[in-house]
Amino acid sequence: MLIEFKVNAKQYKMDVCPTMRLLDLLREELRLTGTKEGCGEGECGSCTVIMEGKAVNSCLVLAPQICGKEIITVEGLADDRELDLLQQKFMEHSAVECGFCTPGMLMSAKALLMKNPHPTDEEIRTAIAGNLCRCAGYSKIVAAIKDAADA
Amino acid sequence: MEYKYIGKPLPRPDAISKATGKAIYLDDIRIPGMLYAAILSPEYAHAKIINIDTSSAEKMPGVVKVVTGKDCCIRYGDNIADQTPMAVDKVRYAGEPVAAVVAETLEQANAAVEKIKVEYEPLLVYTDAREAMKEDAVLIHEHQEEYKRLPTLKCIPDTNVANYYRLIKGKGEEGFEEADVVVEGEFNYPIGSAAAMEPHGSIVWFKEDQSIECWSSSVCPFIIRQELAHTFDMPVSEVRVHIPEIGGSFGYKSDITVEITIAWIASFVPGRPVKWVATRREDFTSTLSGHGIRTFMKLGAKKNGKLVAIKSKILHSGGAFAETPVNVTITATHNSGGPYEYEHCFMEGYTVYTNTTPVGAFRGYGHPESQFATERLMDMLARKLDMDPFKFREVNYLREGSIVASGEKMWKTNGDVQAAAKKIQEAIFDGDKPEEDEDYYYGRGFAALSKAPKGATFSTKGCYMKMNIDGSVSINMGGAEQGQGLRTVVKQVAAEALQIPPEKIHCYTEIDTQFSPYEWQTIGSMFTVQGGRAVIRAANKLIAILKKTASQVLKADEDMLDYNGEYVYLRNDPSIKVAVKDLARGYITSDGITIGEIAQASADARLPRYSNPDPETGQGTLGVEYTFGAQGAQIRVEKKTGKVIVDHFASSFDIGRVINPLQARGTVLGGVLMGIGAALHEELIYDEQGHQKNPHYGRYRIPKMRDIPPKSTVDFIENPGAVGPYGARGIGEHPFLAVVPAILNAIYDATGIDFYEIPITPEKMKQALADRKENA
Ligand code: FES
Ligand code: FES
Repeated sequence: MLIEFKVNAKQYKMDVCPTMRLLDLLREELRLTGTKEGCGEGECGSCTVIMEGKAVNSCLVLAPQICGKEIITVEGLADDRELDLLQQKFMEHSAVECGFCTPGMLMSAKALLMKNPHPTDEEIRTAIAGNLCRCAGYSKIVAAIKDAADA
Repeated sequence: MEYKYIGKPLPRPDAISKATGKAIYLDDIRIPGMLYAAILSPEYAHAKIINIDTSSAEKMPGVVKVVTGKDCCIRYGDNIADQTPMAVDKVRYAGEPVAAVVAETLEQANAAVEKIKVEYEPLLVYTDAREAMKEDAVLIHEHQEEYKRLPTLKCIPDTNVANYYRLIKGKGEEGFEEADVVVEGEFNYPIGSAAAMEPHGSIVWFKEDQSIECWSSSVCPFIIRQELAHTFDMPVSEVRVHIPEIGGSFGYKSDITVEITIAWIASFVPGRPVKWVATRREDFTSTLSGHGIRTFMKLGAKKNGKLVAIKSKILHSGGAFAETPVNVTITATHNSGGPYEYEHCFMEGYTVYTNTTPVGAFRGYGHPESQFATERLMDMLARKLDMDPFKFREVNYLREGSIVASGEKMWKTNGDVQAAAKKIQEAIFDGDKPEEDEDYYYGRGFAALSKAPKGATFSTKGCYMKMNIDGSVSINMGGAEQGQGLRTVVKQVAAEALQIPPEKIHCYTEIDTQFSPYEWQTIGSMFTVQGGRAVIRAANKLIAILKKTASQVLKADEDMLDYNGEYVYLRNDPSIKVAVKDLARGYITSDGITIGEIAQASADARLPRYSNPDPETGQGTLGVEYTFGAQGAQIRVEKKTGKVIVDHFASSFDIGRVINPLQARGTVLGGVLMGIGAALHEELIYDEQGHQKNPHYGRYRIPKMRDIPPKSTVDFIENPGAVGPYGARGIGEHPFLAVVPAILNAIYDATGIDFYEIPITPEKMKQALADRKENA
C-alpha cells in the first residue's frame, strides 16, 4: 500500500507491505539504523521513536499507522554538526555505556522535554520507565536528562 | 606521585557515535548479496532425531538452502570439544539448532523454517545436576570420554559428569578435627541470563577466494578466527573476523558460541554472506546462560573465631555442552573460600551435563555463586560463636603473607579487604537501624568478596602503537569494547605513559583480526590490568626509539636524554633538544638524508607465571591478580507484600588505582543494580520438559529504573597492584559479586529468616514470614 509520512523533517511517499513494522521501515528501508531492536515485543524501549510528538515503541507500530504522520528518530536529534542538548548531557554524564539503549532513552527523554521543558525528577522517571538499560546506567541517565532540562 | 591524566573523569571517546545513532552494531551491517538465516529449535529438550523432512520448506518462496546437522562431523571446543554446530542424531536442549533455512529475506526464512518437519523419540529430561547425576540417569553424551579435552580436565565416564575438579590444601577434610564450631548449608544460585540489550548475532561469508570473513557481536575475535580455521581446515590467516560495537555482554558473548553454527549454515551457500541475529527469545534459549550453581559448604572455626577448615562441593548444572561451563565450575570451586584464610581446604567441583542451555561466563565467573554460600555461612558462624560478624571476619581476612586455597601467597600488592570492610561498616552500620514499625521490618547486611581472574595460561593482550608526523599517537588493540569503557582507559594510560594529552591519542574503534593485535578474549575484568600494562610497554619502546634517533641528532648518548612528550632533550642542558614530531618517521637532516627508525612499537602483557592447576592437589598460581572488596545493604521488608526494598547500598573495592572515577563509579552502580536483580527477581525458569518458561523481558525481569536504591555509596581504596598500569586492578565484575549475600544477610537481620536460595521474590518472602509465624 502507498503511504506518505515524514521522517526527520523529510517527506516520504512509499509503497509498503501493510504488515511491516515501523522499526523495519526505518532500519531496512530508510537505513536509519540508529533505532535499535532489543526485544521486538514492546518490552525494552530500545526502538523508541517520536511519532506526532509522542514516544512510541516502533516495533509495535505498523507502517499504515504512520500515514500522514511525522516521525523523529535519533538521527533527527542533532542538527548537522550541532548536537541536541540531551545528547551533549548524556555524554557529559557518562550516561552512555554500551550505547544500545541510548537512542531509545534519548527519544523518550526528548518527547518529554518537547511537551514539558522543565520536568520534575518523578516526571523524568516516568518518561523513561519503559526503557531498559542492562548496563544499568539509570541514575546517570536521569541526571543527564535533568541537567538538559535545567539548562 | 602526581598523575596528569590518571584519575581524571575523561569522557568516553565512543559516546558521541552512540548518542547520535551512528555507531554500527552487528545488526546494522548489511553486505551486498547477504542472505538471512532462521534457525529451528527442537520440540523436546532431550530426544533422538528420527527424521527431518525439509521438502516443503525447500519449496517456499525465497528459500536458497535448507541446512541440517546430517553428516556433520565437526566437534569443537577449546576445553572439551563436545559441541556441534547443529544437532546430529539427537538434541540435548530445547534451544539447540536442529535445522536452518537460508533465504533472500528474513521474513522468507522465518516462514520457511516453520515448514520443516522433525520426528523425535523423546528421552528423559534433566534440568538439574542432582537429577542428572543419579546412578541410573540416561546419558546426555553417550561417549563423552572420546571427546578431545585439555589434559587438566577429567570426566567421569558413563555418567553425566563432564568434569571433576578437586582442590586439597593442608589436611583437607581432616582439618575439621581441629574445629570447635562448625556450620554447614546448601545454597542455590539459579540459572540466569546476562540478557544484554543487544541480542547476540553473527554474519559469516565463505568467499570465492577460499577465505572466510565473519562479523560477530562477540568479545573473542581471535578464538573465532582460530576455531573457524580449524573447523573448516584452512590457514588461520585466511579467516578474517570483525567485531563492531557490542551492545553489552557481561560475559555471555565470550567463548565461541553461535559463530560455528552460522558458519556451518553459510558453508552451504558459498559466495553469499549469511546473517543471523537472535530474537530476544533465542538470546535466552540459544546463546549462553549464567550461574546454575548449587554449593554445599561447611566451615569450621576455633572458639576464638579463627577459621581452620572449609569443605565445599559445587554442583554445576552446566547445560547440554560442557565447553563453556567447565572453567566456571573450577573457578567457583577454588575461589569458594572467599577473602579468608583456611589452613585446611577440601573443595570439589562437578560440571554436570543437563538438558538446559549451556552456561557460560556471566559477571563474576563462579565467584558470586560460591561466595554466596561463604558469606551467608560466615554470618551464621559468627552467630554460633556469638561474635560480632565484623570482628569474626577481621580475624580471618586474607592479608599480606596469607596463603589462599590454591596455595598462592598474598602480597601487600593484592590489596586490603579489611580497609574495604571498614568503609562499609561506616557507611551502613554507623548508628542504630530503624525500629520495626507497622509496615516494615528493617535490616542491615554485610558481605566481603575476593575475585581472581580465570583465563587461559597463554592469555595476553597486544598493543600496536604508532606516532604520527604531528606527534599525535594512534593505538590499536584487540580488546572488545562492550560498554565497560576500555577505550577511555587506553587513552588515559597512554597519555600518562607518553606524557601526551589524550586529545592527541586516538584509540581504535572496531576490531579486525586482519589489522588488530592478538588478544585471547576480553573477559575477567582483565583489560585494564593486562591491556594497560601492554600500553605502557609499547609506550616505553616507542620512547626508546625516539631517544635512539635523537641521540644521533643531538650527538649525545641515549642515557643522557630525557623525554617529555614534546621534546627529547639533553638532561644537563634542556635547550639542546629536538621536537618529538620531527623524530616520528625518522629524522630528516638538512640535506634530506634521513636517519633513525619510525616511532612505532608493539607489545603485549600476560599475567606473570599464571599456571594450570596441579592434577593432584588442584593448586597452582591460578589467580595472580586478586581484587578484594566489601558490600553492605540497608533494607526494608514490607510486611503486607513481602517486598524487599533496598534503601542504601554501599560498595568498597581496593582497585589499586582509579583510572577514571566517573566510569569506575558507573560500573559499580550498574553492577550493584544487576546484583539486586539477581537477589530479588531474576531467574530463568525451566519446566519439567526442559523448556524455558520466561525467555523474555516481560517475565525475566531485569532491574528497571525504579529498582535503584535511593542511596548509593561507592568508595575506592588504592593500594597499588603489581601488574596493572599505575597499580590499577579490574572492576568490571566485582560490583556484582557480594550483592546477593549482603542483601540476604540483611534480610536475616530484619526478619530472622535464613534464605539459602535466590531470588527472594515477594511471594517467597511472604510465604517465609507466614511459615515463621506458624512455627513461632
Ligand atoms: S524492540 Fe521495541 S520495545 Fe523492545
Ligand atoms: S548503556 Fe548498555 S544497555 Fe544502556
